[in-house]
Amino acid sequence: MNRELARYIILSIIIILAQLLIFNHMNLFGTINPFIYVSLFILYKTSYDKTYLIIFGFLVGLIIDLSMQTYGIHTLASITVCYLKEKIEKYSFGVNSILPLAMISGTQLTNRITYFLIIIFLHSLIYFSLIFFKFEFTLTIFLYTLINSIVNFIIIWIISKLIFDK
Amino acid sequence: MQSIINSIIKNRNLIIYLLLSFISFNYLYNNSSIHYSGIGKIGTFISGSTSIIYSNINSYFNLKEENSKLIEENLELKKIESQLIGISNKSNISESKIDKTINAKVILNSINKNKNIIVINKGEFDGITSEMGVISSKGVVGIIKNITDNYSSIVSLLNTDLRINAILKNSSTIGSISWDGLDPRIVQLNDIPLSSSIKVGDTIVTGGMSFYFPKGIPIGKIEDYNNTSLEGYYTIDVSIFNDFSSLSNLYILERTDNEEIKFLLNE
Repeated sequence: MNRELARYIILSIIIILAQLLIFNHMNLFGTINPFIYVSLFILYKTSYDKTYLIIFGFLVGLIIDLSMQTYGIHTLASITVCYLKEKIEKYSFGVNSILPLAMISGTQLTNRITYFLIIIFLHSLIYFSLIFFKFEFTLTIFLYTLINSIVNFIIIWIISKLIFDK
Repeated sequence: MQSIINSIIKNRNLIIYLLLSFISFNYLYNNSSIHYSGIGKIGTFISGSTSIIYSNINSYFNLKEENSKLIEENLELKKIESQLIGISNKSNISESKIDKTINAKVILNSINKNKNIIVINKGEFDGITSEMGVISSKGVVGIIKNITDNYSSIVSLLNTDLRINAILKNSSTIGSISWDGLDPRIVQLNDIPLSSSIKVGDTIVTGGMSFYFPKGIPIGKIEDYNNTSLEGYYTIDVSIFNDFSSLSNLYILERTDNEEIKFLLNE
């Protein structure tokens, strides 16, 4: 087990605990509930195996679901994001994504923002679509997704800065 | 075999993703009532739209049964109608009483001769007697002529021998309907004097001045007329409501006052 992986596992535990103990009980402006655990999928190294990521996403999502009484909604959103991560990486970083050294911190700012936003937006969209689960609420779903994505983006961006800019 | 395993390994992400999605959906479906009903709705929609195909096919095979049910129902309604007409004195549609209607199916029909006969599947055993009036849901068809035990023949309206008493529904001018043997959609209304006003589209109904039909059973509407006749009568073409080429269910009217009228005439 190398240092990077050990660091990632510790980070995962901290973030999940933070999500469970702090962010789950947070209700910004009454509606927004930041999902910082999404940062785990974002920060998962591109060189690691994608299959493990899907299983990891499933486990994380399940833990969050059990703690938030959402019955599999987080799980579905997480595994979808994990499964599509490879394609999103290719779209956001272009050629760089296939390089094993293409770390998050070494890439261009716009690429990084695109990458973060796509994953967060996709996750929120799936989450709120499943939460409301009715065509009548399409507008509400988009509104919630938009607001939530922005807040999540800010929080996750700060977290990734804290971790990588040491 | 090797290639199957290879393709499984190659697509393992997709397979795992689908498997885990299925598990999550199952979890969601079993625990959340909103999703249970939402997914249930989709299920209902799919099963509903597939079973409608089945029921369409099935209903086609049940048409015969349905048809006979409808005929029975129609018969009941006709009875009620005639009773109601009997009760209301204001109504000018029918003054004579229909006691019973018998329904029958056409088994032989022609429209291309000039003395057309219709044969039906009811006869003496079903209570049919000679000279009963026959109608369909759209109007007059003809009069019973010959009867055997199980079958009867009807002198169709499209028979040059038949003359039926008829009136203009609006003005009650009396005439008689006959057929010239040419066009099976057109019959002729005779004996309407030139003094009465008629127009194209006027409805012709039975006049009730015969043993056969009560007053007010529809026959047809005026298609065309000619007032240049020297005899002082219109020659009127009437297009009949019934389509004689597609007759199937007929109703035979049984009138009890026939005998009384005949008795009076014979006195």
